[in-house]
Amino acid sequence: MKKIILLTVLLTTLVFAQLNVDTTYSTLGAVAKKIGGDNVKVVVLGSPKYDPHFIVPKPSLLSKLRRADLLIINGGGLELGWLPPLLRNANNAKIRNGAKGFLDMSHFVPMIDVPTSVSRAFGDVHAQGNPHYSTDPHNVLIMAEAIAKKLAQIDPEHEAQYQKNLADFTKEWQAYLTKYDANMQMCQTKKVVQYHELFNYFLKRYNIKSYGNIEPLPGIAPSSRHTLALIQIMRENGVKTILQDVYHERKTAKFIADKTDARVAIIPHDLGAEGSQTLQEFYNKIANRICK
Amino acid sequence: MKKSLYLSLLACASLYATVDENATQVELQKQKAAIQKLQTQLDMLSQKSQGTLNTSASFSQNAYLPDIALILNMSAVARDVNNTAYENMAIPGFIDAGDAELPFNKNRGFNLNYAEVAMHSSVDPYFDVFAMFHLHPNAFEIGEAYVQTTSLPYALRIKAGKFKSDFGRMNAKHQHAWHFDDQPIIYKALFGPDSISDAGVQLQWVAPTDTYIMAGVEAMQGSNDRSFGDVERNNLYVGYMKSSVDVGDELSILAGVSLAHGKNTTTNATDVYGVDLTLREQLGAYSSLIWQSEYLQRNKVVDGSVKTHTNKQAGLYTELVYQYNNNYSGGVRYDAITKNDVDLSAYNGVNTNNLDKYTAMLEYKPFPMSRLRLSYSYDRTKVIAGERKDINTVMLSLNIAAGAHGAHDY
Repeated sequence: MKKIILLTVLLTTLVFAQLNVDTTYSTLGAVAKKIGGDNVKVVVLGSPKYDPHFIVPKPSLLSKLRRADLLIINGGGLELGWLPPLLRNANNAKIRNGAKGFLDMSHFVPMIDVPTSVSRAFGDVHAQGNPHYSTDPHNVLIMAEAIAKKLAQIDPEHEAQYQKNLADFTKEWQAYLTKYDANMQMCQTKKVVQYHELFNYFLKRYNIKSYGNIEPLPGIAPSSRHTLALIQIMRENGVKTILQDVYHERKTAKFIADKTDARVAIIPHDLGAEGSQTLQEFYNKIANRICK
Repeated sequence: MKKSLYLSLLACASLYATVDENATQVELQKQKAAIQKLQTQLDMLSQKSQGTLNTSASFSQNAYLPDIALILNMSAVARDVNNTAYENMAIPGFIDAGDAELPFNKNRGFNLNYAEVAMHSSVDPYFDVFAMFHLHPNAFEIGEAYVQTTSLPYALRIKAGKFKSDFGRMNAKHQHAWHFDDQPIIYKALFGPDSISDAGVQLQWVAPTDTYIMAGVEAMQGSNDRSFGDVERNNLYVGYMKSSVDVGDELSILAGVSLAHGKNTTTNATDVYGVDLTLREQLGAYSSLIWQSEYLQRNKVVDGSVKTHTNKQAGLYTELVYQYNNNYSGGVRYDAITKNDVDLSAYNGVNTNNLDKYTAMLEYKPFPMSRLRLSYSYDRTKVIAGERKDINTVMLSLNIAAGAHGAHDY
């Protein structure tokens, strides 16, 4: 009798033994869920409501990191302001930097806007380049491949499953991209300004030119002099679209819009930032709101 | 001119239109060949550049340099008692006249409080090292210097070296990370400006639960003679437990209980108990409300004329900080001594009740690495030259953290 109970307990734990996968942001989390399927339990640490540079390092995040088998970070310095102390205090050897359960996605995505020289005199510039690569839907497959490879490495038992999930997802996503790119061909918006350089990957992919940022330097609040200069640039170049993220103040964008007859488009920077539930909804929302 | 351009364009177009298919094929072949040629050239070039890249200094270790940061703290102070009087202040029952250590903002006028050099580096896959070199205008001090494990199983972590104890909420935080420039009175009274900071070892464990639970124990030298100070052997043991829950997405609650048990002489024990509670409500991406409070009680056994007895003393602080956006914040704090069961005969004729302090501050951060803070405090805990003397202080402080300075703990 005892043996049977023991066996069932063992079996159930085996059957339900899911890998705990923590991701720092929600788009990464959604991709991890696509590849991991039922074998993983995905926890997203940073809420898409907030500035990804300044996620509040709540102690509750420690208990999530404590039990993680795999931590997937965006990298490129985006988590520098909040994750390192959490990682230190979670005491989880599995996911420390350099361990098998630590995956820095920025090591797989070709980074753009890599500065040739870095100083804080230029504001909060990321030395590794622009870290906001997840706004480009073409980077999703790069993430998916890296995650599949990593999952197979830490959970070799389910390698075939992860490979199959990857193959299925790749097919689905390529079909989606074909349609998406075709739609973007029709996008009327060719000139924009943005609050922070959050959407450079997307803009570069679809040949939309950014004429400037509302913040004078990365991480520095708008100044009236800079705002007036930006208005001038927008008038000279006929820029009629302002890309506003969900977490910065919107007063400046509205002011500029009034002066230039432009439109303020609220663009999600991460899945869920403006109510999207799936990856496709997220990228559709970016396209729809930019192109309108 | 324009007309001739149009004409030639038209002519070209018509010419191309009449070219037969064969010619297109030939043209295509030509272009293919040209592309191939370019490709080989490109390959050669990339090989060449790979060759030229690898001329690094054979023994260069630049890539292994630790993260180094410089932290500077300075202030301009206006106070309604002169410097000599302030240096000789007493907090009845806790600090005798002239016995206070005042490393921060001591002088009316200008103070350079410190320049700190903070370093952090991975040692190997198993250890991280941290050091905080605290430089006063005329003193060098190792504020902290310790190694910490990164790879122990079961969510265990060991720290060894000189470090700030994780007792309570405030103890482990450096001065530049405090919400107010002044140390809470009860911390200053029980431990002095460095709080519990000593050579020793620490073991911490995080529970594998949904709710954050952390437990830690420390064995320390106990050289802080404000509460401990048995010089014959290591005498201080600290234990604590902290837990945190989130209520919804925006409110997080962190609570802790702590105990420090040491010896103030070879025979007499000191116990300090602490409870702390921090509530943080996130109001927006950059806006929050933080309410942080701590209560500390010390039971210190001292020799009496006939037999030993236990002095019981306690105090608290409670502070509320409103972060308006990433540039501006403001806050208020109330400090009080709530229990002072000690021999106060030295203060005969002086009112030693109702020892408390009020502080308010406004903070401006142009950038996350720099901070200007204007504060006012009304301090009713001091006795100067045998008289109770309430002190008004207005202070403007500037703090910068330049270089590779890591993010702070919660």
